[in-house]
Amino acid sequence: MAGGAADEVVRQALTHADALYNFARWLARDPVEAEDLVQETYARALGAAQQFEPGSNLKAWLFRILRNAFIDRRRRSRREASPPYLEDLDADGEVAEPALGELQLDQIRALVAEDVAAAVHALPESFRTVILLDLEGMTEAEVANVLGCATGTVKSRLSRARALLRDRLAAYRP
Amino acid sequence: MDCSTAQELNLNGLRGRLSAERAAELREHLSTCARCRDHAEAERVLSEVLEARLPQYAAPLALKRRLAASWPPSTRAAPAPRRIWRPAWAATRATAAAAAVALVVGGSTAVFVQQRSDLRQLESETVNDHLRMLGGAPLAQVAGGLHEVKPWFGGKLDFAPAVRFAGNDDFSLQGGAVEPFLDRRAAVFVYKRRLHTASLFVVRGDGLAFPTTLRTGIVRGFSVALWKAGDQGYALVSDLNLRELLELQAEIAPP
Repeated sequence: MAGGAADEVVRQALTHADALYNFARWLARDPVEAEDLVQETYARALGAAQQFEPGSNLKAWLFRILRNAFIDRRRRSRREASPPYLEDLDADGEVAEPALGELQLDQIRALVAEDVAAAVHALPESFRTVILLDLEGMTEAEVANVLGCATGTVKSRLSRARALLRDRLAAYRP
Repeated sequence: MDCSTAQELNLNGLRGRLSAERAAELREHLSTCARCRDHAEAERVLSEVLEARLPQYAAPLALKRRLAASWPPSTRAAPAPRRIWRPAWAATRATAAAAAVALVVGGSTAVFVQQRSDLRQLESETVNDHLRMLGGAPLAQVAGGLHEVKPWFGGKLDFAPAVRFAGNDDFSLQGGAVEPFLDRRAAVFVYKRRLHTASLFVVRGDGLAFPTTLRTGIVRGFSVALWKAGDQGYALVSDLNLRELLELQAEIAPP
């Protein structure tokens, strides 16, 4: 069983390099750190390959490792320097659901990639993460697996993250 | 169904993730509630904008090579297409062996799941490779159109790409390139329509899961078409909408 787990990790893990790197770029915002994160993720995955449950979601498992590596790095940075490098990791405050009219939706439709990227970058890390994992095509249960939280938490966080993003995009002025 | 539940379900409804019964309840509610319809529309617009405009970053080839160099060899056959830096023969042999194992131990369901997974990987790699093309891969000169591009591939590939579409007023041929695609080299033909770029990757089809009938889909906001003709696999990708991509596909592979 354990050998099978390690073998599945070895056989399949590298196929997720692009998705992991994309996630790392959005988390770290820096290409060099993103590469470091991906390399660290694979090193950790090899070390923990026996713990992987064969047949379970390898991609979610790798994303979880990467996010944990990212959080560990931010925590280390915070200890080493006084500025608060770590964004709020659980921005669970209320977000008012904006009622968007057709004009505001048109405004969102007209945005270019740079505007959308800026708005996503400006989200709190926990919101940015659920938006990105959702875009990866993960279900709420799979996102919960990555984050190590309940599916209900993901559902409500994703809803609030999208509401906040819609609100900001609708109000965006280049 | 109340408004709160409807708005909670709107996103999964748009993605087809609801049971038939739940989806019907949601449709019924939306047919009578303008506020929840507006919410569903706002969700749809946000999804479209994120999928089409949010930049995607493909892992640099240097990083992939570093990862592969430090990665242990597998002890068993690989069931899926492997990385671009592996020898072509290894992936071909591994995929065939894995398919055989799946047939024996898993039955038709296992094979179907494997095929679907392989197709998704092909789609994903197609988008990633297109992003690398957009990132500035050099193109062969095309002053002479296809007649100039095809000979340019000579000596760079171990097969002759079967592409006859030289471009037209709707889709102009910008040039060609040879780029890694999974575990092998691809002939890349780049077409343009207005400001949109389409990349056509043509590879030897052996050992890869190219479907014998056309398969289309949207992957991270890009329209993707995959098919196989003869012994070659074709992957066409663009930020054009799917209808326009299919117009181009019909030019490349006339029915």
